[in-house]
Amino acid sequence: MSVTPAAAATERADEREPAAPLLSVRDLHVSYRTGAGPLPAVRGVSFDLDAGETIGLAGESGCGKSSLAGAIMRLLPRGTEVTGQVLLDGEDVLAMKPGRLRAVRWTDMAIVFQGALHTLNPVQRVGRQIGEAMELHPGEGGGRRAPERVGELLELVGLPARRAADYPHQLSGGQRQRVLIALALACDPRLLVADEPTTALDVMVQAQVLRLLRDLQSTFGLAVVFITHDLSTLAAVCRRLAVMYAGRIVEEGPSRDVFAGAAHPYTRALAAAFPVIGDPAFRMRPSGLPGDPPDPRDLPSGCPFHPRCPVVRPVCPHTAVELWDAGPERRAACVEVLADEAPG
Amino acid sequence: MSAPLLEVRDVEVRFAGRRGSVARAVDGVNLEVRSGEVLALVGESGCGKTTLARTILGLQRPDAGDVRFRGEPVRYDTRALRRYRREVQMVFQDPTGALNARQTVYEAVAEGLRIQKLPGDEEQLVAAALARAGLRPPERFFARYPYEISGGQRQRVVIAGAMVLQPELLVADEPVSSLDASVRGEILQLMLGLVRDTGVAILVVTHDLGLAWNIADRVAVMYLGRIVEQGTTEELLSEPRHPYTRALLSVVPEADGREAQILAGEAPDPTRIPPGCRFHPRCPVVASGEAERLGIEARCRGEDLGLAPVPDAAAGSAHLAACHAVGAPGRVEAAEARARADEVRPGLG
Repeated sequence: MSVTPAAAATERADEREPAAPLLSVRDLHVSYRTGAGPLPAVRGVSFDLDAGETIGLAGESGCGKSSLAGAIMRLLPRGTEVTGQVLLDGEDVLAMKPGRLRAVRWTDMAIVFQGALHTLNPVQRVGRQIGEAMELHPGEGGGRRAPERVGELLELVGLPARRAADYPHQLSGGQRQRVLIALALACDPRLLVADEPTTALDVMVQAQVLRLLRDLQSTFGLAVVFITHDLSTLAAVCRRLAVMYAGRIVEEGPSRDVFAGAAHPYTRALAAAFPVIGDPAFRMRPSGLPGDPPDPRDLPSGCPFHPRCPVVRPVCPHTAVELWDAGPERRAACVEVLADEAPG
Repeated sequence: MSAPLLEVRDVEVRFAGRRGSVARAVDGVNLEVRSGEVLALVGESGCGKTTLARTILGLQRPDAGDVRFRGEPVRYDTRALRRYRREVQMVFQDPTGALNARQTVYEAVAEGLRIQKLPGDEEQLVAAALARAGLRPPERFFARYPYEISGGQRQRVVIAGAMVLQPELLVADEPVSSLDASVRGEILQLMLGLVRDTGVAILVVTHDLGLAWNIADRVAVMYLGRIVEQGTTEELLSEPRHPYTRALLSVVPEADGREAQILAGEAPDPTRIPPGCRFHPRCPVVASGEAERLGIEARCRGEDLGLAPVPDAAAGSAHLAACHAVGAPGRVEAAEARARADEVRPGLG
C-alpha cells in the first residue's frame, strides 16, 4: 500500500488485519476532451488515506493535482474521461448514481478551493449560504435549528457568529476562506479536500487557517487531502506527502523525511524553492528549476522529468520509471533510488 | 557617502474612508534605497506597503512629506513624471494581468520605448531586453501572445519591459507570489542577476520573508502605515527585535515545527489607528504581561513612537526598531544575560 497507517509502521503490516482506508484512489486516470484531442492530466495515481489522516499533494501548475481533487469529488467537466477507482469506505465514487453522489458530497466528503471570492455567492449573506448547504442535506446537525448550527460553525472556524449576517464583500480574504471551510464542514464530512486553501492569503492568516485545519483534524478525526505547490506548508501540516509531476506521483513518504531528504530530484528542487531563513546555504541564493512542465499531450520519453533534471543520466530518456522502494515507507520514481541502495 | 538613490521623507498618504473617516494608509514613513541594493518592504495586506510603492512610483501624491530621487523632490507635472518613470519602473504581482492579452511579447516590451521615445534600434533593444530576462533566442518570442507562454515566461516579459528602459530603480510588488515554486527561484535569480550586471536597485514589496532571505540586502517591516523595524537582512531576520517581526518570522512554515506566534485577526483598520504604539492591541509582549513587568505598559498603550537605533545591534547592521520594550532596562539586561549564556555554550548560534 502506498500510504500505510501510522500504527502499522511499528508492527509487521502482514500480521494485522488492516482496516479499510477511508479513501482509496486506485490507478486513477483523468483525460480532458479538448479541440486539440484528449489531454491526459492524471496518468495512473494510487494512494490510500485513513480516517483522521492528512496527506499532502504537491506539484506545479498542470501536474494534475487539481484534476485529481476534481476526480475525487466528481466535479470535473462533463465529457472528461475518468478511469480507475475512488473508493470512499469501499464504495466507488466514480460509479455512484447522481442521487447517491449528492448524498455523499458534503456529508461524507467536502472540498475547499482557493479564491474564496469566486466560490461564494456575492448577493447572499454567508450564514444563509451555510444554512442552505445544511437544508439540502438534512439528517446531519443532530436536529438543531440551522441558525444555531451556522453560528457554531462560524465560531468553530474562528469567526464571531454575528458574521453570519455579512455579505462576502464585507469579509476580508482570510475571513472568506474561513467561511468556505465552515461551509465545507456544515454536514460533518469525514474527508476534506483542500485545494490551495491558503495560497492567496497573507502569512499570518495562512498560519491561522493551517492551525484551524490541524485542530479540526485532531478534534474531529477529519481526514484531509491537502493540495499545494508549497512543499514547506505541506511538511508542516501533513504526516504524509506525495509529489506529482506530469500526472503521476513521483515521490511519496513521511513528509518530514521527504522534505528533509528528498529521493527524487524534482522533490529536491521544490523543497529548495522555499528557503530556510537563517540558513547560509539559501542566503542570496534563490533556487529554482529551469524549464517548464511538459505538455501533457507530448510527454518526453522515459522519465518525463529528464529534460529538466539536474542529475539526468544517459539511461533516463530510455527508462520507464515507476515508484520504487526508497526506504522505510518511502517510494520514488527515479533511477537514482535503484542505483543507490540507501537513499537519503 | 553619496546621497541615496531614493529617499522617502515623512511621507503620509490619506484616503477618505466610509462615513467621513480618514484612512491613514501611509502614516509617516522614512525610507532610503541606495544604488544597486535590494530592499525588501515586508508586511501584511492592508499595512500600506502597496500605497507606499505607488507613492514612490509617482502614481500617488503624498499628502505630506516628499519622495526624492537622486536628491531632487519628485515633480508631478506630466513631463517630469514621464522622465521619472524611465528611471523608476514597476513589476506587478500578476504577470497575466500586467500584460495586454492582445499584444504580442514584442509590442509589450517595445511600448515603453515608444512612450519614452528612446533613441536606438527598437528591435535590437527589445531583443536584448528579452535575452537579458532569460527568453532566448528572443526572436522566437517576438510574435507570441501572453496565453501562448508560461506564467514564468510572462513574468520575464514584464521584467524585460521594465528593464528595456534601463531604469535605476525597479519597484516589484509581490513579483513571485503568483508563480509556481520552481519558477519562483528562477525569477528571483533573474532579479539578483539584474542587480549584479546592471547595478539597478530593487525595492521588493512582499509578505514573504523567505524571499527577503533569498535576495534582499536590507529589510524594512511595515505595520499599519509605519516602518516598525529595519536593518540588514542577516541582522533583522536572525535577531528580530520588534514583536511584530518576531511573530511574522515564527509563522513561516518550516518542517522543524518551531512554536508559531499566531496573531489574532488581520492587520487592523487604518481608519482607526490605535493610540500609543499602534501594534499594542495585538502585541504578545503586552498580552503576556511582560510589558507590565518591564514597567512600560502605560507607554505601550499611550505613547506613540518612531524608529530608534537598537542599542546592542551588530555593528553596521543599521538596526532600527519602534518598540518601547527595545532598550527598556529589564530587556537590555535580559539580552546581555542571553549573550553571556551563549558565550559559555560555544558552538551555538
